[in-house]
Amino acid sequence: MLTMTVHWRLFKDMSRSVSTAEGLAVDDTLPQSVAHHQSPPILHLYTFVPSVIVGKYQDIEAALRLERCRVRGIEYNRRSTGGGTVIMGPEIVALGLGINVDYPGLGGGLGGVFGPLAHVLSKALERLGISSYFQPKNDLEVNGKKIAGLSAAYETGKSLLFHTSLLVDFDIPLMTDIMNTPLIKLRDKGYNCFSQRMTTVCKELGEDVPVQRVVGAIEASFEEEFGICFQEDEPDHWETEVIQRYVKERYINQDWIFSHKHPRARMGLGRLKTRGGLLEIYLALSGGSIENVIITGDFFSTSEHIYRLEKALKWTSAREESVGENLSKVWQDDMIYGLDVPTLTRAIMIAKENQVRL
Amino acid sequence: MANIKGYNMPDELYYHEEDSWARVDGTKVTVGMTDFFQKEAGDIVFVDLPDEEDEVSQGEVCGKIQSRKWIGNLVAPVSGEIVELNEELEEDTSLINTDPYGEGWIIVIEASDLESDLGNLIHGDAVADFIEKQIKKAEQEKAKEEG
Repeated sequence: MLTMTVHWRLFKDMSRSVSTAEGLAVDDTLPQSVAHHQSPPILHLYTFVPSVIVGKYQDIEAALRLERCRVRGIEYNRRSTGGGTVIMGPEIVALGLGINVDYPGLGGGLGGVFGPLAHVLSKALERLGISSYFQPKNDLEVNGKKIAGLSAAYETGKSLLFHTSLLVDFDIPLMTDIMNTPLIKLRDKGYNCFSQRMTTVCKELGEDVPVQRVVGAIEASFEEEFGICFQEDEPDHWETEVIQRYVKERYINQDWIFSHKHPRARMGLGRLKTRGGLLEIYLALSGGSIENVIITGDFFSTSEHIYRLEKALKWTSAREESVGENLSKVWQDDMIYGLDVPTLTRAIMIAKENQVRL
Repeated sequence: MANIKGYNMPDELYYHEEDSWARVDGTKVTVGMTDFFQKEAGDIVFVDLPDEEDEVSQGEVCGKIQSRKWIGNLVAPVSGEIVELNEELEEDTSLINTDPYGEGWIIVIEASDLESDLGNLIHGDAVADFIEKQIKKAEQEKAKEEG
């Protein structure tokens, strides 16, 4: 019996790392090509030059220490998908996928693409000997530590752009130097904070792993999970024109990079003496939402418990009832010895009351 | 029937298949996102609003809604001119979650071809079928996530 092989296109050039303008413009073209140019799904695998990229609706001036970026020669830019700041570079695999949201095997809605695509990436890591799992809504984790972040946006009609950055190796000191988050104020503790919350392919395998090997595993995993074959390809004439237009309209355009379409960024510190010890809360607010929270102090707990609590609050409403509700969902007895949800909520509300504009 | 399988879908509203709703008051149409959308999306963290006086066509993407990391579309349910924006959303996007048909409204459109546009929207008895299909789709998505 003859079976028809389904081909997807693969844009891949691992011979060089690309500028943020080039990489992001190619990614934005992928869903356009699927929607308007009769292209099958396109996977774009590549690496960026050392760079930092904010989410579509982030305040770049509040998120980054731009002067440090300039001094260190780190490019900065704004992507078209959501989420927070990501550090990119030659040791981090960037993945862009243009695909119709109704494609068989996907969830059929924007929120539903994360599970199936995280599964593909998890299978890719499995090929390398790493056991990972999808941590809804948007992370791939290994033993409670983030190894990849996922984001997506509808671009045109039913076609969407899916973005991922997968950490093969990572420069934590660089991150703490160029990011302008409350975490920067915890510089000395910061290394522990980040190393307890993030991991990389190299760290998990205890050896240097070539990026090319990781890229190969991702390709193979897509082929197996979707039952397709990749055809290596390059942007055609139509696509090249779209790429050039995006470069000009977005990624070298200061109005795009420094867009003011974002919630107001604010930061607050809350201190509260409790019977469990001193609680210190660093709160980064994005409009009425919690962009980030760091729970620290001299209480007794484990980093896993603290990370779980912090994560439960990330990108949720900063309203008191919402904070209490979200903490209660993950709370277990003695997660922080001697503390309870109302006390922790109160400390967070103090940080909120003390907020200042960045 | 306002409550369909746990989702509040007020009878008097008209619904676009991309999850926006329309409340008609003369030629003015207030627009927001449905209870189904906000429950599926989770916490809304930003709304990229259009400008007042923008002309929009029925079915056109006229704004973007960011929930945690993904960005969805605000689709105009009717054609016309945008005459009002909910500026409260700049400070508190969670209104879309807490009160999607009240304080969480997003824009008001002065409709230009209301009668014809309303005929293309989901209303009355058809709402139950629509929401049941949406629920089924969401359940399939979740099953895939868990699988």
